[in-house]
Amino acid sequence: MVRRCGTFEPMASILPPASSHPPSAPPGPLRTLWGRVQLAIGVAVGAALAVSPFFATSLLELLWRTLFVSLVLVGVYFGVQRWPVRWLPRWLPRWVAIALAVGVAAPLATFAVYLMSVRGDLLAFISNDARVRGFFILASIGLVLGVMFALGALLQQREAEARAQALRFELERSQLERQALDARLSLLQAQVQPHFLFNTLANVQALVESGSPRAPEVLRALTAYLRAAVPRLHEGPTTLGEELQRVRAYLQLMQMRMPDRLRFRIVGEGGLEGLPFPALSLLTLVENAVQHGLDPSTEGGEVEVGVAREADPPALRAWVRDTGVGLDPMAAPGTGLQNLRARLAALHGPAATLNLSEGSPRGVHAEMRLPLS
Amino acid sequence: MPTALIADDEPLLREQLAAQLERAWPELALVAQARHGREAVELFEQHRPDVVFLDVHMPGCNGVEVAQAVGSRALIVFVTAYEQYAVQAFERGALDYLVKPFDAPRLAATVQRLQQRLASSSAGGSGVAEGQLPARGDAALHPLLDRLAAELKLRSEPRRHLQWIKASTAQAVRLIPVDEVIFLRSDEKYTLVVWQGGEAVIRRTIRELAEELDPDHFVQIHRSVIVNLRCVSQVVRGANETADVHLRGRPEVLPVSRSYLHVFRQM
Repeated sequence: MVRRCGTFEPMASILPPASSHPPSAPPGPLRTLWGRVQLAIGVAVGAALAVSPFFATSLLELLWRTLFVSLVLVGVYFGVQRWPVRWLPRWLPRWVAIALAVGVAAPLATFAVYLMSVRGDLLAFISNDARVRGFFILASIGLVLGVMFALGALLQQREAEARAQALRFELERSQLERQALDARLSLLQAQVQPHFLFNTLANVQALVESGSPRAPEVLRALTAYLRAAVPRLHEGPTTLGEELQRVRAYLQLMQMRMPDRLRFRIVGEGGLEGLPFPALSLLTLVENAVQHGLDPSTEGGEVEVGVAREADPPALRAWVRDTGVGLDPMAAPGTGLQNLRARLAALHGPAATLNLSEGSPRGVHAEMRLPLS
Repeated sequence: MPTALIADDEPLLREQLAAQLERAWPELALVAQARHGREAVELFEQHRPDVVFLDVHMPGCNGVEVAQAVGSRALIVFVTAYEQYAVQAFERGALDYLVKPFDAPRLAATVQRLQQRLASSSAGGSGVAEGQLPARGDAALHPLLDRLAAELKLRSEPRRHLQWIKASTAQAVRLIPVDEVIFLRSDEKYTLVVWQGGEAVIRRTIRELAEELDPDHFVQIHRSVIVNLRCVSQVVRGANETADVHLRGRPEVLPVSRSYLHVFRQM
């Protein structure tokens, strides 16, 4: 990788590999150099053949001149490309500099080659009309073709860079996709927590043994929750309605277990149930609210889950608000929350947001916002 | 007549255990039911039961902490969904355990063990003050409880570094996860927090933040600037022993002052 003078990187172990080539360096310069040289030779030969009928000089001599000029032009092209940035005036784009250089170099090189042919005798050169005419012809051809090919090469380069950029975006996207898949997998793995499951089952067993009439309803809620919790890798996107059902089932189960410490309500606009919604997203927020917000408190509190549609820009807003113990600044965000952020980023990009704020007088307010197309 | 106390934050489970104990051990008198750790300790001191049934996971003061407070003054039975604590407790013989959900035969086995220990301790109880039951494996009890308490704490242990920044915006007090913070820059009184979701202003000083943020990820590069290393794309050296930090995907360029340049010297 080409380094700019005076650039250095901080502790390499922490940072990922630094960003890629500076924009002006072509990929595989040596290969392109050889390619360009070949092209230059080809053009030189072609030009020599083309103008030979009009010239008194021998074909070989002509060939030598055109070859010299075209090779010099190739040299100039690559030389100016490598020119360090800070030696160029700021207002001059690099490609203009290259074109200008080639344009100026063509007549100069031609002049040089003619001078060589008269062995430095300038007078002999100027006096000979045929030579001067030949000079102008070759110089013009050199100028036109040189600038043309230089510009063509620059264009090619730009396209190659654009393709490289597209490839980088593609790589980033597939990396994001892989991250999303990882997040989903670990989400699925984390779902069935033994502590939750066995505690809940113990409660259900208690209800059944005591012959309570609430037992069937609780079992229904448990089934509804487990349907979501049991991993199904081919699960497709779910709807807001389904997610709210899961949330309700979970809250019903938890209320059975902590009736004196959990109150809940699900509010919000109707008619939104059919909208697509990321699975287990609200559920993660509700689990956090109950387990980290209400459970640590001996008095408990309330959980409110709500949804609303926004008009401008069109979005779906869903929130989970609790009146629990709030967020400890030193408490690490759980894997559930991190997974949820990763999934939202992968599915919707920066347009989807997940924000947490303090509730008042206490607790946490978590809000998701999803763009609606 | 032996007496007992039950502590569990889930009322259904308290009632269930009470009902089951009534069937399995009719002579046992249930003198108190506690809803959480603090209540359990209070009720224990008030009634001094012979046996305490403790749920491990309770709000406030948990079951292990209650057991530490009780010590060897009563027989302790942990009622828990966490199998691993149970096995440790049982192996030492210092405590008994019940794994939830439990059934009648398991409870019966536990009851039998309890009855045996109560019988043996009252038989050879000379020199023991009233209300004090020397539990078998007493010497092992406290270290075991200490270890269990430490393990529980480890599970819920908050990290030593700041994980969330509370920032007041117009609408609310935002909770910004520290991972999403890109950099912090302060002026006279306030510090600006720039993060993936926007910007916010907080009242804390750069020095406080530098001490509380994880130094593996956050580095102070200037008297008034802290940057998240994961957001840095490159550092460009400038004149006069200074440098500039360039961020990924963002236009801002942050200055590195001379006194902080050493942070980037190790390569």
